[in-house]
Amino acid sequence: MLDLAAAGSALNLLFTDIQAWAVVVPGIVIGLLFGAVPGLQISMAMAIFLPMTLYMDFMQAMLFLTAIFTGGSFGGGIPAILMNIPGTSSAIATAFDGYPMAQKGQHNRALGLSLGASCSGVLIGYGALLLLIDPLSELVLLMGPAEMTVAILWGIALIASLGGERLLKGLIAGLTGLLLGTLGYGEAGVARGTLGSDYLLDGIPAIPAMMGMFAASELIACTGRRYIVTGDTARRVSVRGIRQGASGALRYRRVILRGSLIGVLVGAIPGVGSSIANLLSWIQTRKKSGEPASFGRGNPEGVVASESANSSSEAGSMATLLALGIPGGGATAVMLAAFAMHNITGGPQFIREQTDIVYAIIFASFGQVLLLIALGLLFVPLLANLVKVPLHYLIPSVLGLSTFGAFGLTGNLSGPVTVLLFAVLGWLFKRHGYSVPAAVVGLLLGGSADEAMIYSYQISGGQWGYLLERPVSLAMIALLAASLAGGRLLGWLQRQAA
Amino acid sequence: MSDPRAGNGGRKADLAVLLALGGLAGWYLFDAWRASAQVYNLIFVAPVTVLLLLLCLIEFAGQLRGAAAAPEALQPAAAAAPVIALFAAYVLSLPWLGFDAGTWLFVSAFLRLHGERRTVWALGYGLAFSLPTALFFSAMLPYPMPMLLLASEY
Repeated sequence: MLDLAAAGSALNLLFTDIQAWAVVVPGIVIGLLFGAVPGLQISMAMAIFLPMTLYMDFMQAMLFLTAIFTGGSFGGGIPAILMNIPGTSSAIATAFDGYPMAQKGQHNRALGLSLGASCSGVLIGYGALLLLIDPLSELVLLMGPAEMTVAILWGIALIASLGGERLLKGLIAGLTGLLLGTLGYGEAGVARGTLGSDYLLDGIPAIPAMMGMFAASELIACTGRRYIVTGDTARRVSVRGIRQGASGALRYRRVILRGSLIGVLVGAIPGVGSSIANLLSWIQTRKKSGEPASFGRGNPEGVVASESANSSSEAGSMATLLALGIPGGGATAVMLAAFAMHNITGGPQFIREQTDIVYAIIFASFGQVLLLIALGLLFVPLLANLVKVPLHYLIPSVLGLSTFGAFGLTGNLSGPVTVLLFAVLGWLFKRHGYSVPAAVVGLLLGGSADEAMIYSYQISGGQWGYLLERPVSLAMIALLAASLAGGRLLGWLQRQAA
Repeated sequence: MSDPRAGNGGRKADLAVLLALGGLAGWYLFDAWRASAQVYNLIFVAPVTVLLLLLCLIEFAGQLRGAAAAPEALQPAAAAAPVIALFAAYVLSLPWLGFDAGTWLFVSAFLRLHGERRTVWALGYGLAFSLPTALFFSAMLPYPMPMLLLASEY
């Protein structure tokens, strides 16, 4: 629990030299920009600006990098809401309801909700981290590769089941995504499905593929319409609306709390993090809702669920980094590099011996939330004006931007080509009723599932029944079966009752 | 009243997509097996492909029987085809036209294609969008980008 002496020392560290805070505002702005521009990633921003931290002391470097992280976590939701392009993989579920809200002219509210939920998520996430850093690091170690495999399959099944009557097509899309995610050199050291292309040896670039399937395919389908939002009055950008949305997020306290806790727990699992946290939170919120059918069609709870989870997952990934010295993803990997640059090693010893620094990082994040609210309210209205742009200007501009971004992610033309191919695939999937989110999530996680399966096989010494022997994975398999059969059963019962 | 021929065409297109997905999955499993038949290589790919093929088969049978969820009216491909073709031309010409000139031409051509009659305006907007974007990305990215007009070491 809380060490009061260390907490006092942390406050001292933070406020003795107020200059340390000078890097927070630029950090948040950089994060917002990199999160909001499709193709630029939070990890990319942190890597680009990492050399600057050489001229800072460790505390200031941490403040700067966590500020980029916090700004980026929120920034990724902005294009997800306005253009159906998740700026980062952690904002996929934000697009599910955020974009339909924007199409209905509720973009101001959606952006405000996203800001409010993000700030609440960071607060709750770091609050939980403050109290739970020790038990959380032990809990993370319970998740072995067997559990990871089942968790990924469960996630795919849940997302596929969102299609209702089209469960079969949802599953086909999810499994297709999983297979696409295993293309190229796998853990077995064999190249598969590359068609002899060197570009595919590392597999399909996931983020450009995601941009193609979500954004480019949507834009292609929008051809012929005049605006994203139909109706002149609905396109109005209102600072008041955004502010009301931000404060209105607090009405969804349960959703925020559930999303934040899911975010912290899932974010703490290395390699999973915010990409899964936002989806799980969205799925859980939909399940608990009295109107599950309204999700994916502009339900504000969907935006709140996703944004609270992806923001709080930052705290979860910091827990793993600080407690175990294991980075959960790209952004925390850059932070680990910053640790090394300042001759600091994360892990249980670091937490025991440098508790004041750990607390200072957590307290600083609370302060960053206040700055994020101010900066968010300043920048978001400017970005919200996108809905006023006629689609025949927006479509080529966003397609062009995605192409630049995809090149930025891969460093060669395989990125833009991936956007093109997956734009066509996404358009085809939408046209024929296959679940695009299930395919994208499958693509993102296919490689991890393949690796986890191989590790399970190695750990078990070649025992096929290993997955069924682990209590946590067994429970997840039961949940997977229940979520597939439950929905069908409920549908059948409803049809019988009708 | 809905045109039954449209529904029939939709079902045929649906079946074609299903066949293509099943065919690609089958080819992928064959390619993976040909690369290496070791357990480590196929431990995940083989069961997932078999499950996928099974689901495709069930859906296919359902479609043939007419039991599967009826396809909704499909979005006409004719509206999307020019956009896809233009986007493909843009992406595939990037090695020669570069990001600066390629984006300029793509944006301007898209505007002309979608009703912008003022050629100078279309070219002007294309230039105003493409040059700052190309400059921004080339400054931010740590590797060279193909360019025609701007300096590049690509």
